[in-house]
Amino acid sequence: MTDQVNLEALIGVVTTTSTVVVERGPVAFFASSVFDESEVYTSEAAANLQGFDAIPAPPTFPFVMENWGRFSDVQESDEPQNPGIMVALAPLLAQGGLILHGEQSFSYHRAVQVGDVLKGHGTIVDAYRKESKGKTMTFVVTETLWSDAETGDPVVSARFNVIHRS
Amino acid sequence: MAKKLTASDVPIGATAPELRHVLTRTDLVRYAGASGDFNPMHHDEVKATGAGQPSVFGHGMLSMGFLATAITSYVGVGNVAEFSVRFAKQTWPGEELVTQVTVTGTREENGTTLVDLDVRLTNAEGEEKVLGNASAWIGE
Repeated sequence: MTDQVNLEALIGVVTTTSTVVVERGPVAFFASSVFDESEVYTSEAAANLQGFDAIPAPPTFPFVMENWGRFSDVQESDEPQNPGIMVALAPLLAQGGLILHGEQSFSYHRAVQVGDVLKGHGTIVDAYRKESKGKTMTFVVTETLWSDAETGDPVVSARFNVIHRS
Repeated sequence: MAKKLTASDVPIGATAPELRHVLTRTDLVRYAGASGDFNPMHHDEVKATGAGQPSVFGHGMLSMGFLATAITSYVGVGNVAEFSVRFAKQTWPGEELVTQVTVTGTREENGTTLVDLDVRLTNAEGEEKVLGNASAWIGE
């Protein structure tokens, strides 16, 4: 391939600037979708009994919460529009090929809870290329830190590794 | 936080109760709605087969979410400190998915005690779908 995407230029690209609201319905529905019937996700009383002051969210909910709670009226006006990982991946996809989710990790300070308003800031932290069996594999790694919008305390960070194969 | 395990609960080699689930197309549609991931490869049989796939297939994050259910059922909701996986194989409707969560050790960090876990999701034949590790806060 002669016109390869400059991967070094991708590092540092902002992929997320979001404020999200965590609501009760999405959390309960999400728990059922990962086959978790624990009452802690559907009952405040059960959550309180387990020591939470609000219903907690399952561990992988942070991956999807932007799709539920990124409401337009809670975004900060001075933040850029959410550019998304696809801005970085579009030049790769323009060459054809397939996008795969290779790896995912979360590091938690506490569980996300119903009622949280969280600010997310995501950047591309790594991008590299490997040749394998005549295929070009391009790896793009994004890290997003979610913090409590009120206190600024970190809540969870998520590392998202996508592979473009062409 | 939910009640924590203690060091005596988690000798090396201890395992969490195994969870099993036979994956259906309805599960994939539910997860698409719950996650907002409407990639047609996961719900549109016509598009999936048109793209050369044998059928629709499961979201990687549905597999990771099912593993999370097995982990929190064991260590208690709110006690997970880290959870990392690699997606090795696609999952298919009709496959029975099986969780495996195994203790690999315990350690002290910043004045807290953590249990380290090897986590994996396989099908009933033992094919590995998702592999990774997790750690959770435990009590004294």
